[in-house]
Amino acid sequence: MREQPTERIAKDAIKAWQITAHLTAIIFLIVSIAAFVAAYFFDFISYWIGIIAISITIVEWIITCFIVPKLRWRRWRYQIYDQEIYIQHGIIVVTRTVVPMIRVQHVDTEQGPILKKYGLATLQISTAATKHEIPALLEEEAADLRDQISALARVEQDDV
Amino acid sequence: MSEPKRIHPIGMLLSIFKIIKQTALSYLPLLIIAISSKQWMYILIGAIAILVFLLVYTFLSWWRYTYLLEEDQIRIEQGIIVRKKRTISKHRIQSIDLSQNLIHRIFGLTKVQIETAGSDHNIDASLHAVTMEEGRYVHDQLKYNKQMKEQLSDEAEGHNLEMKEQPAHPFKKVTPRALIIAGSTSGSFGIILGLFAIGFSELETFIPDHFYNQATAWVMAQALQVLIALAIVVFIFIWALGIVTTLIQYWDFTVTRYEKELYITRGLIEKKQSTIPLKRIQAIGMKESILRQPLGYASLYVEIASGEISQNGETTTLLFPLMKKAKVKDFLQEVLPEYDYTIDQPTSLPKRSLPYYLIRSILFPLLATIILAFTLLEWVYIPIIATILAAVFGYWQYKTVKFQLEKDYLFVQSRLLSRDTVIVKHSRIQSMQKKQHFLHRKQQLASINIAILNKFVGRHITIREMELDEAYQIADWYSYQKK
Repeated sequence: MREQPTERIAKDAIKAWQITAHLTAIIFLIVSIAAFVAAYFFDFISYWIGIIAISITIVEWIITCFIVPKLRWRRWRYQIYDQEIYIQHGIIVVTRTVVPMIRVQHVDTEQGPILKKYGLATLQISTAATKHEIPALLEEEAADLRDQISALARVEQDDV
Repeated sequence: MSEPKRIHPIGMLLSIFKIIKQTALSYLPLLIIAISSKQWMYILIGAIAILVFLLVYTFLSWWRYTYLLEEDQIRIEQGIIVRKKRTISKHRIQSIDLSQNLIHRIFGLTKVQIETAGSDHNIDASLHAVTMEEGRYVHDQLKYNKQMKEQLSDEAEGHNLEMKEQPAHPFKKVTPRALIIAGSTSGSFGIILGLFAIGFSELETFIPDHFYNQATAWVMAQALQVLIALAIVVFIFIWALGIVTTLIQYWDFTVTRYEKELYITRGLIEKKQSTIPLKRIQAIGMKESILRQPLGYASLYVEIASGEISQNGETTTLLFPLMKKAKVKDFLQEVLPEYDYTIDQPTSLPKRSLPYYLIRSILFPLLATIILAFTLLEWVYIPIIATILAAVFGYWQYKTVKFQLEKDYLFVQSRLLSRDTVIVKHSRIQSMQKKQHFLHRKQQLASINIAILNKFVGRHITIREMELDEAYQIADWYSYQKK
């Protein structure tokens, strides 16, 4: 755990995260617009609510779209050993996780519409007590890792 | 092997009680409407209809519930309209527990609960009333292999749960004295106090107004001394109630060690029995509440992997209600030698992590103080006291954190309010995390988080703000990858 893991996730992850950020921002934007509309029709609602909402939206948009994805991508690393999986993530709080292969209960890959557009997939690793994720790996890579981990995890387990 | 058997007819009585208990509240609105309408005739017909339905239903479900013991499995058939057949293989059974409540004891019956490893406890089976003899028979049939069975059937001549205690197996029994101490220092004291307050405020609505007013007037007319005396009496009464409930619950608490399992019996009115297979134990812990710590007492618990959550929502399982902390080591050596530990040089936290503990602790009361200072200045002393208390607790928490790494286990002591000491084996740790934010990085500190399995979603044992180097040592110890 002294050294950080070596493998990075796919670079397109940044684009995928940016799209997600755009979508959230659009929802925020709709709410802000609704606040303005409401202020126009009802006297008791101040325009200030709309102004505050729109400024929050803009700040949120800038942060989640232009700052966070890059930092996140830069931090995200993983490494698959024969005996364990090693993951690092987190922008402010950096978390390094060790999951031993013999504790892995099952491995899944998951792909939403945004990830699919970039040919990416998320790898989910579950133990009996915890769940871990490696987001945005290339599709083939994720599938390979899934098979590799499930093969490695197929070690005789003592109870749970 | 034999005919399918039904459970004891008294079981019907138990199911009726159970149904009434579960549905009692749902009758209430109906009852209120019925009484306010004053249609006594219809009420009578309705009540009889419900009763008849209940009786027929209970009888039919009793009639249709059969079980059959086979060579290495038990078959259960049930259901009035939809027939359900369930076969549980002997190898899949984790534990079989016999328990008795008051009705069981009167009729010499027992409930047999069969637990499997599944996370859904509906899958488990229970025979909710069979004779003690039959219960023992089912237990032994499903539990043990041939030779042990013979040995046990020699032993289990009587009809008592305690029959299983053979001197050959080490066991520990709680003393009434320890139970009294446990009761008088238990946290349930506060809960009972709360229940009392709620009960009283509910009761208010039932007391006729004029009586209530008279009583209030009388109370108000008394001198302060009388009121204080009254309060003390109530206080002592509640305290005594706490002791009595503890005594009833944990009377004769006995834990016996068998080759592959721990076996616990307890209870004065309701005899409860439970089995903890050793291989399901994930960690063992010792809890010292604020009241018990100065007296040198601790209660022991185990974290076990199981899908079922106990009725009171507790995720841990009590291993022993109360014992002197100094005796814990002896206890473990005898009953659970797998967890025999030596703690000689536990590591504390470095000085530079103290600020984190203090800030985390006082943050909210401090915010409250600031807000109140601007709004309601005359009440500001309440959050100030809270802040000071929080600071003391923060310091205490910091002081309590200790850990020690041994060849195959990790010892961690920490505190939220009670001091909690956990011993977890290397092979039971599900995953491990190390967390650092930028200040931590600058100061060479790190927090670690160790996940183990327990009854619910898993438990996380954390050590916050420890020396980075020591965090690495634990990580190296945990790592399966030998580099």
